[in-house]
Amino acid sequence: MDACTSNCSSPTPRRWRKVAYGGMQPGYDDNHTDETFLADMVMNASVVKRDILKVMKDSVAISQYLCIVSLVVLVWSYTLRSTLDENSLLLLDTSLLGSGFLILVLTEEMLSLNLLFHYILNISFFITGLSVLAPIYQTLTRSISSDSIWAVTISLLMLHLFLHDYSGSTIKSPGALQNPTLTSCISLNASVVASVFVASRLPSRIHVFAIMLFSLLVFLFAPLVTYCIKKYSFRLHLLFSLALMVVTLSFVYVLHKLLFVLLLGLLVFVNVVCPYFLIRIQEYKFEINGPWDEAKLCFDIKD
Amino acid sequence: MEDQKHRILMVSDFFYPNFGGVENHIYLLSQCLLKLGHKVVVATHAYGNRSGVRYMTGGLKVYYIPWRPFLMQNTLPTFYGTLSIIRTILVREKISLVHGHQAFSTLCHEALMHARTMGYRAVFTDHSLYGFADVGSIHMNKVLQFTLADVSQAICVSHTSKENTVLRSGLPPERVFVIPNAVDTAMFKPAPKPLDRNEIIIVVISRLVYRKGADLLVEVIPEVCRIYPNVRFIIGGDGPKRVRLEEMREKHSLQDRVEMLGAVPHAQVQSVLISGHIFLNSSLTEAFCIAILEAASCGLLTVSTRVGGVPEVLPDDMIVLAEPDPVDMVLAIRKAISILPKIDPQVMHERMKKLYNWHDVAKRTEIVYDRALKCSNQNLIERLSRYLSCGAWAGKLFALVMIIDYLLWHLLRLWKPTEDIDEVPDFILPKNHDGKVLQDFNAEQ
Repeated sequence: MDACTSNCSSPTPRRWRKVAYGGMQPGYDDNHTDETFLADMVMNASVVKRDILKVMKDSVAISQYLCIVSLVVLVWSYTLRSTLDENSLLLLDTSLLGSGFLILVLTEEMLSLNLLFHYILNISFFITGLSVLAPIYQTLTRSISSDSIWAVTISLLMLHLFLHDYSGSTIKSPGALQNPTLTSCISLNASVVASVFVASRLPSRIHVFAIMLFSLLVFLFAPLVTYCIKKYSFRLHLLFSLALMVVTLSFVYVLHKLLFVLLLGLLVFVNVVCPYFLIRIQEYKFEINGPWDEAKLCFDIKD
Repeated sequence: MEDQKHRILMVSDFFYPNFGGVENHIYLLSQCLLKLGHKVVVATHAYGNRSGVRYMTGGLKVYYIPWRPFLMQNTLPTFYGTLSIIRTILVREKISLVHGHQAFSTLCHEALMHARTMGYRAVFTDHSLYGFADVGSIHMNKVLQFTLADVSQAICVSHTSKENTVLRSGLPPERVFVIPNAVDTAMFKPAPKPLDRNEIIIVVISRLVYRKGADLLVEVIPEVCRIYPNVRFIIGGDGPKRVRLEEMREKHSLQDRVEMLGAVPHAQVQSVLISGHIFLNSSLTEAFCIAILEAASCGLLTVSTRVGGVPEVLPDDMIVLAEPDPVDMVLAIRKAISILPKIDPQVMHERMKKLYNWHDVAKRTEIVYDRALKCSNQNLIERLSRYLSCGAWAGKLFALVMIIDYLLWHLLRLWKPTEDIDEVPDFILPKNHDGKVLQDFNAEQ
């Protein structure tokens, strides 16, 4: 190293060049480190500056969905305790279906009769299928104890929440470009299986049908509806989420105090602590780019 | 000290009969070091039924360790599984220095670790470039940091590769040497008769995979064929992207102008190269690129993407560089075709002889070995502090791995004392054999 520094400072006949050919460069050792060493390195070139308010607003989508799932669990537990009877459940289904449709139709840019007909046809197929399958669901897990069913349901819901696609919707409106990802499909399936398990604990066929319809409506179409609201107006999305949070928290408060504290803590964690933490760890972000990086192709590969 | 003869163990998972840049490098470097009077032994894993000890040209002894590869010619990482056999080889061959090659060779990492535990000096050559973003690279960089935390000296094949290695491993830059690959100019001679210039032939020889830029070729070839009706392509190599190239050929009806040879054995590369005027390299990442050297040695003008260490490889008048973008590459090919009449393959070949020489590489590597042997040998405690500085968690893990290795080594010494291991007598090769080593190798192939 000493020999090298003395060489660099003294005027040598030939300057060191960043080349590999021509053998050892006269006057310079092979371990010579020039001033140009790492000159082409670029640090943090593509780092996005994040703003805490924006991150907090974006995280509302997560807490909104958490509330939706909590509401579903609330309905499940009330039904299992027979607080909700089948008629009110069916009423709930119909009102959900109706309001969902209304929101879809109102937020859709181009309202076409064709699309509406398409939706209605699908929903009627769906309802028929469910009513045919309800007796099977009712006796599906008779030989399994309730404890195992609850344990599996809770773990499936956890899986559902972890893998859920919070930025979009697994169920696309017809003609969407992107296909859903594998994880979001797994998440959706986990929620459907959880609903089947819960439904199989219920006393009557009509109960099973009502609760299955309710769970599937929420798990399949709630993300689509909320996505449509978000696309239509972000302010409406925030308002809707806030209302949903208040409703959920008050219902949970009535059910159980500890659960209320837990849910409140979770919502605060998701909406405040996580965004704050994300902003804090941004300063540790350290991206290195340079000539050693694999080149990116500037065109799409059409297979 | 200067004329001290070393006893070197080259370790890598990659060696003949497998074929590639690293294998070629180890073989030719070993041959030249043998000629300088050093003793060289190569250790690699068993290839198929090729297991045990083999001798190659020039008395190069190769240990094919009976250890099965599990992925891409790599052995399963076991940390301590190879301790016993590496120790036996080191003692038997009275090795003074261990030289490991290639960052993704597990055998190399394990051997260097054991060698350092036993107090041998270690030199490491890095042949490839790595990014810093994806999970695979992050993992590899940690492994490299572990190995390089304690090597005496490291060698890289280009300046870009040195920058990359220093960043990845945190090694002080003055301990990293740049010694490029070379080319066997005796094997890559230009065509005896100058080629006809009415029809321009562009040669591509590479594995047809994404990293070698096969997708760029798909975009570039039809465009070049459209502009120049007298250009033909010869594509040597095989790989998953071959289908795409064949589709392109059919789509643009270029069957008579784009010839696909499939995989070309290394011995036939020269005969393919000399049938063309221009060599096209479309790699997306490359630490050095020996293929360019081989082409230039055959007198071809090279057009290449400006990636990694490629700009350092040849003087500006022997290569046309382009960004990895189809439009720019077509421009570069146009430029290459326009300067083609000024290129004389014989002159090019003579220049390459002066620019690259394996003997020169061996001499420069010898200097690195001398330096490595001059490094003071540290005890375990001093070395552990270096590992601990590698990171909060990783450092402790590395230190633990080294302590266990040290304990196992002592156990092994009790169980099989060093005195009980036979030493191999050296054999002297007849002198007249020496000069033709490289040509003999060609004949073998």
